[in-house]
Amino acid sequence: MRRTRGLSLAAALLVGSLTLAACAEDSSNTDPDEPGGGAAPTSEVSDVRVGLAFDVGGEGDKSFNDSAVAGLELAIEEFGITEQRVSPNDDGSNRAELLSQLAEQGFNPVIAVGFAYDEVIATVAADFPDTTFAQVDGSNAVFDGTSKGPNHTGLLFAEEQGSFLAGVAAALKSQTGTIGFVGGVEIGLIQKFEAGYVAGATAVNPDIVVDVQYISPAGDFSGFGDPARGKILAQGMYDGGADIVYHAAGGSGLGVFQAASESGTLAIGVDSDQYETIGDPALQEVIMTSMLKRVDVAVSEFISAFIDGTVEGGTDIIYDLSVDGVGLSTSGGQIDDIQADIDGFKQQIIDGEITVPTTP
Amino acid sequence: MTSSSEAVAPPAVELQGITKRFPGVVANSDINLVVRRGEVHAIVGENGAGKSTLMKTLYGMHRPDEGSVHVAGTEQHFKSPADAIAAGIGMVHQHFMLADNLTVLENIVLGSEPKSRGALDFGAARRKILEISAAYGLDLEPDTLVEDLGVGDRQRVEIAKVLYRGATTLILDEPTAVLVPQEVDELFGNLAELKGEGLTVIFISHKLDEVRKVADTITVIRRGTTVGTADPKTVTARQLAEMMVGTELPTPETRESTVTEDVVLGVEDLSVLLPTGRTVVDGVSFRVHRGEVVGIAGVEGNGQSELVEAIMGLQPLAGGRLTFGAEDMTSWTTRERRDGGVGFIPEDRHRQALLLDAALWENRILGNQTRPPARKGIFIDRGASRNSCKKIMKEYDVRAPGCDTLAVALSGGNQQKLIVGREMSGEPKLLIAAHPTRGVDVGAQAVIWELLKTARHDGLAIILISADLDELIGLSDTLYVMFRGKLVAQLDPGDVTPEQLGTHMTGAAA
Amino acid sequence: MNVVRRVGLALLAPAIALVVAAIISAFVILAIGEDPLVALRELVNFGDNSASQMQAVAVILNRAIPLFLAGLAVSIGFRMGLFNIGVEGQYRLATIMAAWVGTAVVLPRPVQLLLIIVVAMAVGAIWAGIAGILKVTRGVSEVISTIMLNFIAIGLASYLLTGPFRGTPEGSLTVATEDLPESGRLPGLNGVMASLGLAEPRSELYGFLIPAIVVGVLVAILVKRTRFGFDLKASGLNPTAATASGVNARAMVVKAMLLSGALAGLIGLPDLVGDTYHYGTEFTSGLGFLGIAVALLGRNNPLGIAFGALLFGFLDRAALSLQFAGIPSQVVTIIQGTIVLAVVIANEVARRIAIRQAERTGANLPTARPAAGEQQATVVQ
Repeated sequence: MRRTRGLSLAAALLVGSLTLAACAEDSSNTDPDEPGGGAAPTSEVSDVRVGLAFDVGGEGDKSFNDSAVAGLELAIEEFGITEQRVSPNDDGSNRAELLSQLAEQGFNPVIAVGFAYDEVIATVAADFPDTTFAQVDGSNAVFDGTSKGPNHTGLLFAEEQGSFLAGVAAALKSQTGTIGFVGGVEIGLIQKFEAGYVAGATAVNPDIVVDVQYISPAGDFSGFGDPARGKILAQGMYDGGADIVYHAAGGSGLGVFQAASESGTLAIGVDSDQYETIGDPALQEVIMTSMLKRVDVAVSEFISAFIDGTVEGGTDIIYDLSVDGVGLSTSGGQIDDIQADIDGFKQQIIDGEITVPTTP
Repeated sequence: MTSSSEAVAPPAVELQGITKRFPGVVANSDINLVVRRGEVHAIVGENGAGKSTLMKTLYGMHRPDEGSVHVAGTEQHFKSPADAIAAGIGMVHQHFMLADNLTVLENIVLGSEPKSRGALDFGAARRKILEISAAYGLDLEPDTLVEDLGVGDRQRVEIAKVLYRGATTLILDEPTAVLVPQEVDELFGNLAELKGEGLTVIFISHKLDEVRKVADTITVIRRGTTVGTADPKTVTARQLAEMMVGTELPTPETRESTVTEDVVLGVEDLSVLLPTGRTVVDGVSFRVHRGEVVGIAGVEGNGQSELVEAIMGLQPLAGGRLTFGAEDMTSWTTRERRDGGVGFIPEDRHRQALLLDAALWENRILGNQTRPPARKGIFIDRGASRNSCKKIMKEYDVRAPGCDTLAVALSGGNQQKLIVGREMSGEPKLLIAAHPTRGVDVGAQAVIWELLKTARHDGLAIILISADLDELIGLSDTLYVMFRGKLVAQLDPGDVTPEQLGTHMTGAAA
Repeated sequence: MNVVRRVGLALLAPAIALVVAAIISAFVILAIGEDPLVALRELVNFGDNSASQMQAVAVILNRAIPLFLAGLAVSIGFRMGLFNIGVEGQYRLATIMAAWVGTAVVLPRPVQLLLIIVVAMAVGAIWAGIAGILKVTRGVSEVISTIMLNFIAIGLASYLLTGPFRGTPEGSLTVATEDLPESGRLPGLNGVMASLGLAEPRSELYGFLIPAIVVGVLVAILVKRTRFGFDLKASGLNPTAATASGVNARAMVVKAMLLSGALAGLIGLPDLVGDTYHYGTEFTSGLGFLGIAVALLGRNNPLGIAFGALLFGFLDRAALSLQFAGIPSQVVTIIQGTIVLAVVIANEVARRIAIRQAERTGANLPTARPAAGEQQATVVQ
């Protein structure tokens, strides 16, 4: 008896968590069954069908992934294309199957959002040589020197350059000479943010102290969705004398903003203009600026190039400062007074006078 | 035999013809009981005689199959204890049901919290508790934490809890079992106060001298039915004991001795400590020979269970030695003891002897996993186990549809016969039988007695623990009395009477 | 006794549960404004040609293999009332250790694969054994200790992955161990399928299917036919009686945890030796927790667990098709949860009915009746 009751309890807990997980995910799933260009108000209806693959829990993040959606919608508006969005299952085990099915069902191009597709996209691209693939945040080059295939294009961002400017802004604005960086997960991608930020801050003030912390180690992706721990880390930095903290921690960034709000200090957002997306006036006050990563631009430009037949393939397209693929947002006006300095550094980077490191 | 002629007011409680059956067992049959208002009415009987079944009926914990319950002249059909409480009947359990980390006040009001316009009204509750405490001399301090109280105080809290709910008839289930003598005297003082205030007390016990001291009327229950009512002022302990155990001579008699000189089990200076540090078995020594039944008598809770578990290797020893034949068994595991030839009929078969949710053939091999017929290398020989199960069912008259039936489907008697058959089929050299006929019907009881007698004749050494004095006297070759963890007397079952045995068991003769 | 009838009754409860779950899920789908019939169609639509049908089968099986192993691991603990919540940590740690050992040596293929399997099982067993030993020596609840050990295992795996076992260069976005050499890879079964005249699926069907079936059969024999299995069952049904029968309860706890952990160690291997060839940041996680659900579905019975794993694999495959049909993939998670809940409730109800029936039969004895088998069949083994 006792045993069975125990099992039933376990089942109840389990079901509860499964259901909650399901509820917690996106509620904003728009109906992709309706081809966005069905009405085709502004342009001719194209027969191009675009497949967009998010990463686990990505759709509806009000940031990086939704920025890709914005790019897609821009393309729908412009070209009247058809689109299909899909997400992998919770543990991401069906990423390969997901890309394959998109290709198999004739979606072309297929755009994968996130470096997590690194593991599988090369194989799928080889299986479907007639389909054009693009991967946001994933390079065409594999670390062992090979390519992910001639039909794969990497859409990369010079996060280190944007982060350099964020570091410049933080160093210029800091009263205490101490600033902070909260990374979500200690992986190469986020380390690029850290490297650029530290370089930028040091370029303004060689004596500046940068307190760097990561929420979770590599392999544990909880750091991108844990505002509570983000808050604790940021709080520690503010208590330790930092007055500006830059986060590259996805959903955990909310905790950084809260900590800043409670201690009357400032924070820097990431990926999209978080001053606009945060929606809470109390938190808007503390968002000095955001490091923008124009995923929307990259996606819509890629689709446009595909329609024009100009996709080269087998290479990367890098969105850096020179094409405004990265940059700082100005909403809230808090960095208007140092805009000239920032633009100065920006020009030096574009001109190659400053080379921003990509690893700490 | 009752004194109903003098009852002007209706009796506080009247039970007529109560019968309660459980699958295969009749726990109560044709119980008749009249409890007058304002008296202390004792219900006495051996363990397993059916006292608690009866009280559960009266307290609404289950419904009788036949008969009627009248409370203060009105017929009642209790569906739950809540109904019984509403009718003014309260129960003080033997094991206290108190929350240690709450105060006396909180424990008393728990479950019937006083409310005043939706909010808890502890002020009113405190006044009422202090009133109760003063009226019945309970001496309660409402704000003391229960964990700081002694056993006697806790019992008074339990009594207050029942009174707080408006009970006019209190059932006390073996209230003195947990008390030391001074506390017993205090309790009796409280009972006198309750009686003085016009409340009725039903007092369950098997301690004869206590009952004679405190009760106004005594009703005796034996083997599930009321056998008579006695007046404590005139009845002697001997008469009462006769009523309790029955006047007929023990049926399970085994006169001609088969005792040999070969010692099978030697117990030397055995001691067992509870985790709390209390000594429950205190320097016990005795021997069991081939063909001998050693009976151990004692009021429950005097260390018999722990003694048995120590011999089976289920209790760590605090001291002493066990020999089995010529070998020292002290450090053997339970499995080594079983494989060596020790059979075990535990006192609580559901807890210690059966897998209720498993098939009979699986229960057949429980405890015999490592021996034929079950063993086939690392595997269980299911075919042989099933066959052996069928054989046992036939030989020991286990009535069940087949070996795939679940053990839970069997009546208590059939379960017990299966257990006895299983333990016997291992051809043990020593059998430890704790209450082997408890809760089984009369037919099964006779079968089990016969089995034990035959086995003894064939040279089995048996340790018999029982609360049934007939059984002990009838079956044993040697009889020890265990009291507070010690063997206090060795008696000759040939010429001891149940009364004498009873006196020894209560420690009065030591 | 009638075998068909016996099996039929045993399956009745889960079958009713599945229907109930389907009805509830249909209402949920209606409530979010989608058509349950479309969802149903997508669930069973495996495509219109044999290649895509075989692909669907391969996807389901590849998913079911690790779930089956996870369910087995959890069920060993459940059988004796132990909650090994730590299967998750056990397999993650086991997989990275196995991946590392697999890259450190090059041996003949069968030897190398065996080495990888042994290392994974040993690591899983040790990690679970810690919880077992804590329980018998210190009385620490295995629920608490295995949850805590999960955190430690995942942290440790992260450290090893980013530190000593790192196979990818600094700066790469995903981190993984080095790929296993050819001799550490288990070929898929597509060739076998082709030789059977079946269409080859697009994805490779994991070769680990064969070892998984072997393990399943061995576990089934172990728990149903051996003395160890009997002691395990007895300890789960009635620990006091098991102890009195001579089972060493403490040793049993440790043995059950070791076995559970050893099985848990296998969970990551189908992916490791059949697909990814490395352990990395993107390695499938969460299988240990899904194993709890699968074990519940399968009532701790190896065959039932196989069905449970296939059912989860089947539903998981549909998560993609549903999205193509415009239905959010989270519907699948809801269906899975509903099924687990319904099956557990149905099993408990069936068990109570069986016991009540048995008691009634018992009360009406002594005449023997030939109807006993069916009662046994409907009761949790």
